[in-house]
Amino acid sequence: MNAWNRRPALGGAVAGALLLGTLAGCSSSSNSSASVSGSGDVTLVVYSSQGYDSAITKAFTKATGIPVSLDDDSTGPLLAKVAAERNNPQWGLLWVDGDTAFAELDKQGQLLDYNPGVTLTAAGETLVPTDHSYIPVSTTAVPALVYNAAKVGSVPTTWQDLLEPQYKGKVGMNDPSQSGPTYPLIAGLMNELGGESGGVAAGEKYLTELKANGLQIHNVNGDTLHALETGQIDYGLIQSSAAAGEVATAKKSANYDPKVVYLGTTTLLPGVIGIDKGASAKMQQEAEKFVQYVLSAAGQHVMQTGDPTGDSLYWPIVPGVDPVADIGAMPTKYQRIDPYYWGPLETEVNTFFDENIK
Amino acid sequence: MAVSTIIEPAAVRTHAAAGWARKAPFALFWLLVAAILLLPILLFLMVAFSPRLFDQGPQWFSLSGFQGAFQGPMLQGILDTLLIGAVSALASAAVGFAVAWVVQRTRVPGRRLWSGSMFALLLVPSYLIALGWERLLEPDGVLDLLHVPDSFARSLLFGPVGVIGVLTVKGIPFAYLAILAGLRGLGEEFEAAVRVHGGGKVDVARTVIALLAPAIWSSLAIVFAESISDFGVASTLANDAHFPVATFELYNAVDNFPVQFPVAAAVGWLLLAMAGIALLAQNAALRGRSYRVLGGRTRPARRRELSRPATSGVFVGMFVLLLLSLGVPTFGALSASLITGLGTLEGGAAFSLSNYQRALTSPELYQPLLYSALLATITATVVVLLGLVVARMLTSRRGRTSARMLDLLLLTAVALPGIVFAAGYIFTYNLPLTNDLGIHLYETTTLLVLGYIATALPPASRVLFGSVGQVQESLREAARVHGSNAPASWLRVMMPLLARPLLSAWSLTFGATLLELPVSQLLYPPNDPTVSVGIEKALSNYDYGGGTAMEVLAVLAALAVIGLVWGIFQLVAPAGWRRLGRTS
Repeated sequence: MNAWNRRPALGGAVAGALLLGTLAGCSSSSNSSASVSGSGDVTLVVYSSQGYDSAITKAFTKATGIPVSLDDDSTGPLLAKVAAERNNPQWGLLWVDGDTAFAELDKQGQLLDYNPGVTLTAAGETLVPTDHSYIPVSTTAVPALVYNAAKVGSVPTTWQDLLEPQYKGKVGMNDPSQSGPTYPLIAGLMNELGGESGGVAAGEKYLTELKANGLQIHNVNGDTLHALETGQIDYGLIQSSAAAGEVATAKKSANYDPKVVYLGTTTLLPGVIGIDKGASAKMQQEAEKFVQYVLSAAGQHVMQTGDPTGDSLYWPIVPGVDPVADIGAMPTKYQRIDPYYWGPLETEVNTFFDENIK
Repeated sequence: MAVSTIIEPAAVRTHAAAGWARKAPFALFWLLVAAILLLPILLFLMVAFSPRLFDQGPQWFSLSGFQGAFQGPMLQGILDTLLIGAVSALASAAVGFAVAWVVQRTRVPGRRLWSGSMFALLLVPSYLIALGWERLLEPDGVLDLLHVPDSFARSLLFGPVGVIGVLTVKGIPFAYLAILAGLRGLGEEFEAAVRVHGGGKVDVARTVIALLAPAIWSSLAIVFAESISDFGVASTLANDAHFPVATFELYNAVDNFPVQFPVAAAVGWLLLAMAGIALLAQNAALRGRSYRVLGGRTRPARRRELSRPATSGVFVGMFVLLLLSLGVPTFGALSASLITGLGTLEGGAAFSLSNYQRALTSPELYQPLLYSALLATITATVVVLLGLVVARMLTSRRGRTSARMLDLLLLTAVALPGIVFAAGYIFTYNLPLTNDLGIHLYETTTLLVLGYIATALPPASRVLFGSVGQVQESLREAARVHGSNAPASWLRVMMPLLARPLLSAWSLTFGATLLELPVSQLLYPPNDPTVSVGIEKALSNYDYGGGTAMEVLAVLAALAVIGLVWGIFQLVAPAGWRRLGRTS
């Protein structure tokens, strides 16, 4: 009996030593957001899903001396982290694609209003919220229709075209509950067909008809592109940067030649930065400097070279900065959807999609 | 009287101090368990009832999370989840038992390959197995291009059969390790006894299965819990097949904005209830029985020479199993990373090392791989020590209540998907109150390692459960009677018996931690991404070739480290340690 009593004691001693060691260690590796550099700058904590974020945070530190701590991840986990931290936020600056999440954070009172005072292109100006609660710094678009020009005889130019018999079973898109850019795509479609006054009804009717015409659902951009490459579909509705990346990198052959076209009115999907309202005044100042740097010519250059076949394929909204060659011209007919209206409908629309379209 | 009044307080103090010294480590153990398992899980689950607690909604008490969870196809999802959990657990246990028997008790050629492949299978993420099968069977996929009729197989894959099949394959190594450990300690005296008393093969099988009940139930419970919490298959095959499962509902709640933690927590309660059912079944089956069969008189079992047709049959069966479980995902990974154009309209399928060249020179592989390997080494070492303590507690006849609580807690941790477990860590260690107490663990390597330990401890202690439960107390008591002190009796009596299971648990934990994603994603310290975060980033940026190449290299690195550790064991460990647990 005594022997057994000592066994958990031994294990307990090990466990206890570990726990004490852990707690002792925690003081030496305490939260980076609180650390202060020799120059008096605090470390700016950046949560970002952009492919070029590592390059631009390093360039920013080099240019300003402000240390940056980067948490780079996909949009979903980053937003989950921001939500979980809500009663004690650790981030100073959040940078992801799409403005619906920022509209929600604004409604929750988590964002610092900031107007960088930089004149934007006409498209860029449409993306700026009236209260400057977040800052658009670039844009892509949804959907880009990527199609296999080596295989198809006809190319649709409107949403209605896709309901024609020649496209039956040949069109694919992503699942909005798995693919970040796909809810804005569907919201844009609903906005175009029904407007805010019409709500989701016209869009739901259209999607139901598209489903009846053999619409195929894949998880994310990469899966839809894989379906295009293997010939399961001939037309894919995805984000413009992913479509441009495919055109730039795919090996063309007699059977495969991806090209891109835009349908009717295309929805802008901005790259957006938000600043934490609860961060220290010093960190907020640094975050504002970061925004200024991103909107400068130097910052835009780093963004355009940091992820050449991925997120660098965006359309600049800073006048005088040309897009990289691979992305092509921006669609002439575009819209901005109101994230304060469409954001709260995301769960309802995704549930509809889950139950009726998938 | 006077003397006694002087002496008594001192005696009482000494006695009390001794009592405290005995209890303090036990209390510290529970403190650690509370810190890394109980609190994060509890606080996360509380959000289902009280969203306001962590600013996840305005209400201090609400059941809206449960309402949200039961919307849509959730009810069907719960039933589906129960089905896939139960069937995959049974199938994994059956196959795991068969493989363990072949490896442990027969002379069928290739035994090292079969046992090594079980470790390899542990390291393969479930989504990669699903991806391999999808590549083969998708419309216009590889089999279609080869003009192999596959429409029936496709309809099976993209449905419950495919989902259960992949989860079974993932569960086999868990069942194998748990049952192998039990089988190793069993010896063959009991089988001989049945045969001596006139029993046939069926009677022998019944007796062996009955004696291995702890290991079998352990494998059933762990595979059930692993299957119901799996994300890899839920988000790929199950989603493609429109086969709703509970974890996918949870994933939807956490991965979409606005993030609905109350709904995720409500689904967590449902998963917890399912795990509770598994545990109740296990306890009901094992209650009041002793399975301590490994003692001083246990002799290693002999390997059987099967007849030639039986050997061929078993060999072919093992080969087919290996092909289906490892061959197909290996093909999937290789076709994605090593062969360009395979199965696509681009044509001209050709071998190319470009993805591997990119991966090897990528800053997202080398440094993160070293970092992850270091964390996995620390985690595996700590988990093996803690797992041993946990396994002793679970198999002890004393402290049944605390053991039952611990078991429930561990199984809960397995049944809850990693992403919500990680969210629980944020709730707990990012509390202003925690910071006020001077504990700043959030966004540090320390918290990440604690999260890894909490994730790895349940499966590791389950693997050890079978072996530890077999060791008779009389062995150590005999050593103590012969003058050995407590540490020496451990080293000389227990370590030789447990060295191999401990090394198995270490290998399992190392491999699983190296590629762990959900906890890493939410808890990795800024600027120090783990290798799994780098791989996920490459995959999400449509770089399947590069991402899969990184994954293959990481799996190879894990296998190399595990091989090295076993090699060192063979060279350095005393002969007795190496011999025990192996059959002649």
